[in-house]
Amino acid sequence: MLLPLLAVSGVAVGLPLAYAFYLSLTNFSLTQQGPAGFVGVDNYQGSLTNEGLWSAIGTTATYVVIAVTLETILGLLIALSLQKQKWARDITRSMLLAPMFITPIAVGLTFRFLLNDQLGAIPYLLDGVGISYDFLGTGNALLTLALIDVWQWTPFMVLLLLAGLESIPKQPMEAARVDGAGALYIFRRITLPLLVPILSVAILLRSLDALKVFEYVYATTRGGPGTETETIQYFTYQTGIQFFRLGEASSMAFILLAIVLPLIIILFRRLDRAK
Amino acid sequence: MSSRTLMSALRGAFLISALAAVLFPLTWVTLASFKTPQQLNDPSLIVFQPSLINWSYVFEAGILQAAGRSAFVAGITVLISAIVGSAAAYVISTYKAGGSATRFGILAAQVLPPAVLVFPFLTLAYVLRVNDTLIPLIFAHLSFVLPVVTWFLIGFFDSVPRSLEEQARVDGFTRFKAFLLVVLPQVYPGLGAAVIFGFTLSWNDMFYGLILTPSKSAILPVAIAGFNTFRGVELGSMSAAILVAVVPVVIASFFIQKRLVQGISGGAVKY
Repeated sequence: MLLPLLAVSGVAVGLPLAYAFYLSLTNFSLTQQGPAGFVGVDNYQGSLTNEGLWSAIGTTATYVVIAVTLETILGLLIALSLQKQKWARDITRSMLLAPMFITPIAVGLTFRFLLNDQLGAIPYLLDGVGISYDFLGTGNALLTLALIDVWQWTPFMVLLLLAGLESIPKQPMEAARVDGAGALYIFRRITLPLLVPILSVAILLRSLDALKVFEYVYATTRGGPGTETETIQYFTYQTGIQFFRLGEASSMAFILLAIVLPLIIILFRRLDRAK
Repeated sequence: MSSRTLMSALRGAFLISALAAVLFPLTWVTLASFKTPQQLNDPSLIVFQPSLINWSYVFEAGILQAAGRSAFVAGITVLISAIVGSAAAYVISTYKAGGSATRFGILAAQVLPPAVLVFPFLTLAYVLRVNDTLIPLIFAHLSFVLPVVTWFLIGFFDSVPRSLEEQARVDGFTRFKAFLLVVLPQVYPGLGAAVIFGFTLSWNDMFYGLILTPSKSAILPVAIAGFNTFRGVELGSMSAAILVAVVPVVIASFFIQKRLVQGISGGAVKY
């Protein structure tokens, strides 16, 4: 009964993966006539010395660190609050989780609209209190993109952490409270350590997903100002689709894969151990 | 005021601000979808005579056809994933079929960056002359929906007691019948959640759509993005188009949120 899975994923994942690897060893280009020439590791050498790629990797790393850190802190605070909430539990949870189900391009375009300096609500409200801030301007754009990520994906953290909080045993906390421990002490010394397994899984899953950021960039900055918000996925898209250099783009994709593979292995080990 | 009431007041205020942060952009877009271009020039306008001009425009521009294509791709993808995925998840969960290599492959395929697979799909589509059709897109979406659905279901099959199947075998069921008639019904809630979640993933994807079906068979997220580039920014109609994509999945999500954790963690976290 495993065979259908192996067959379908062979066609949908295995075959394109192998073909992508072949492409990465050729100078294949969509605009070029005739068969592609075999160039060996030239694309890899080219990509590894491509400053644009390294700058995109740096940009993506900064983005992931800012977004996932904020999402973890906010997600934990919201999950702790929800756990103690008594009234309107289900409706509050449902509404707070809603953003993670929205198509990311819609989120990107919504914020592009909200942040528009003439028609947008946020600059208008800030103007009312005398603040003028260029959200998508030089130096600010990457932070703004990370904050859009925070809006959409903090709910994912809330979902996993709330489940984690509700599945850990209650007795150690009660015992500590009876012994006179304060709320902050109980949280730091008991709740947080018990939460670490699910917390690490949530952070890994979120990081792996945030690495793929594309839609927000496409909707708002298109990589600008300059190349400030060019993320890996966007840079690869440009190389492959706008410049038609599929061989080179495929080598970049494999470099990206080499970077994320350790994260995937750690995630797998964590999930296996949790079981 | 005791410190406990203070804490719960703070907690309430924090949750209300979080709710406001979630609802504000969505409310804003909903309002904007009913504003005329003149009314859009005034961000402070909250109470106004609603106009359907944007809605009739997006319907004429073919948003429903794009939504139909998205639903078709998501429907086929999720149907194949549910059939193939539930069979595989069952043997992986019950008999550890394929070992940890298979489970690692399933997890890795879920998080594989789409930039790796998209170019082969594009070139193969050209070679097979099915470029700008929905066929390569369905395969591309299978590449992540199938592993997600399978992973999801492993988590649910894990919680079905083995004795149930053994009893059915004693009662004379074949192995396949025991699976189909006894074990599978136990995971129907999980299967339902997996189907809705898988559908949402396919419905929400733009990256593959943008590259594989950029024009005549554009799916919904690509069509929405189109309102951003053609004829300047048409904020009112863009808002209406956004709502067409957002409302169905957000409503569907309300039914699966509770089961999502068990599925995403592959059964590592029970809720």
